[in-house]
Amino acid sequence: MQSLSFLDFAVIAAYLVGTLGLGLYIGSKIKTGADYFLAGRKLPWWAIGMSLVATDIGAVDIVGTGGAAHQHGLAVANFEWIGCVPAMIIAAFVFIPFFWRSGVTTIPEYMERRFNVAVRSALAICWIIFMACNLGIMLLASAKMMHVHLGMSVNACIYLTAFLVGIYTISGGLAAVVYTDMIQCVIMIGGCLLVLVLGIIDLGGIEEFQAAIKKQEQVQREKEFAQNQDSEQAGKQVSHTSLILPADADTPFPWTGIFFGLALILSPAYWIGNQAIVQRSLGARSEFDAKAAYVWGALLKNLIPVVVAVPGLIAFVKFPELTDGDQAFPELISHLLPVGLKGLFLAAFLAALMSSIDSYLNSASTIVTHDFYKRFYRRDASDESLLKIGRSVTFLLVLWAIGFSFFLMTRSEGIYTIFQTLMAFFQGPAFAILLTGLLWKRATGVAAFIGFIVGVCFSIMLFTLNQEAVYTALEIAPLFQISEPFLYFSIWAFVVSFSLIVIISLLTKPEPAEKTEGLVFSLKPRKETA
Amino acid sequence: MTPLHHIGNFIRALVVPIPLWCVRALFLGTLIAVFIWVLRLPRENTTPENATHWYQNLKIWACLALAIQIVIYSIF
Repeated sequence: MQSLSFLDFAVIAAYLVGTLGLGLYIGSKIKTGADYFLAGRKLPWWAIGMSLVATDIGAVDIVGTGGAAHQHGLAVANFEWIGCVPAMIIAAFVFIPFFWRSGVTTIPEYMERRFNVAVRSALAICWIIFMACNLGIMLLASAKMMHVHLGMSVNACIYLTAFLVGIYTISGGLAAVVYTDMIQCVIMIGGCLLVLVLGIIDLGGIEEFQAAIKKQEQVQREKEFAQNQDSEQAGKQVSHTSLILPADADTPFPWTGIFFGLALILSPAYWIGNQAIVQRSLGARSEFDAKAAYVWGALLKNLIPVVVAVPGLIAFVKFPELTDGDQAFPELISHLLPVGLKGLFLAAFLAALMSSIDSYLNSASTIVTHDFYKRFYRRDASDESLLKIGRSVTFLLVLWAIGFSFFLMTRSEGIYTIFQTLMAFFQGPAFAILLTGLLWKRATGVAAFIGFIVGVCFSIMLFTLNQEAVYTALEIAPLFQISEPFLYFSIWAFVVSFSLIVIISLLTKPEPAEKTEGLVFSLKPRKETA
Repeated sequence: MTPLHHIGNFIRALVVPIPLWCVRALFLGTLIAVFIWVLRLPRENTTPENATHWYQNLKIWACLALAIQIVIYSIF
């Protein structure tokens, strides 16, 4: 392993000091809960847009997407392209202005206004579990990377990251998160771009890179054929540069999962219903800024796979023998980056890591404070007391994240798969209640609650039935014929939830018209409000 | 075999024979549909109240983002 130079450490230190300083400066101006959770509703579109991208592309994605591109090819880029851009554009003009005008602080809060407290609580619990687990996953991702490059122990890396992110998030809330994310977005894209450019130069240019991919695919095909002598299976090997893969290909990204699971369900669920994402636009200084932030984010999203997935293809050519895809990026950095520039990439990696952790910390704290503390314990809590609770909860979440990352160390599953599987458990049902609640006046609270719970249970059942130990014990075939069918869980959970909501709504008494007034999207021009 | 297996196998048998050029058309068609929808949005939904410059119209930037997607999915 190439060791870090003084210059590398100086670059990393400059980044960390700058981020901390900015976060603490913003924190010194925070006086109320509204400042802390929604940045006083003063955020500009350009900062929110970059923050959206930085939050979405965490260290998990840099390591995980690069790794998935190494193992399965460019199809993983679908997660950033068709799995983001169309949903962000639709969200920008339809859903986000609607949420912004409604004045809610959390998505579960909207759910109570539209349906009932049971739906709000069920959704809030799912988001808390998801965010809390993700905090641990993100810290572990950093540990994997830093262990290789900084020579620090995994434990020390987890403590250091948690400390740094915790300090400025506890201090500055959403404003600190968004403005530090903005810097992190620039550093992250710049650092990954550096790996991309140096990697292509190392391979001799773009044409040589393309030829090397084809050559490596041929080598793999021959190896596969020699191993199992199954010409049909070898023939099904997919191209590493294809975005659209056959439905029966041996990949986690067949077109059916990408289109129906990702583009139509997971992606809109994420961009419209993910508290960590939507919270930024709720803090926008105007409705136009909330819309513009999403459009700006969608433009930036076009660039992301180029800087995070294509390096995985470079690693595919340079290190085809790698069995653990998560090692693709670390190997590239070790081999490609000269002394001095390695520090810049590690700063980029830290930026990606911190931008996601701070967002999830802040949003999880917002949900606990608003959807549990304020809703069930102190309905009359003052704005100042909410600020204190928000900061205390953020601190406790930091401690939890450290503990959970230690627990995860005993697991060997790919980081990206864990992340996507967790999300797939409830994103489909969450999208079903959000969609019916926002677009269909006839949807009732009872139907939404039953549909959501049954949908989540259904996706967990699919996951369980697809575990080897379970289907072997039951003497049945696996339900899905691909290795990581998380996209299919979300499709089926959505279908079950959506169907149940429609059927039960039609069988139950409609909600009173005054209850749904202003909470259901309508194409009719809205009445002017004071 | 559970009922879920039968449903899964039935759907799988339906989608597996679909040629990839049809799938590409589906992906591109979706992007083009969103592109056209954005173009048809009323101007007051895509510009700030006191807009004075063409670049303040979000429609242009949304269409640019979608156009890049259409090119990408046409090539790869």
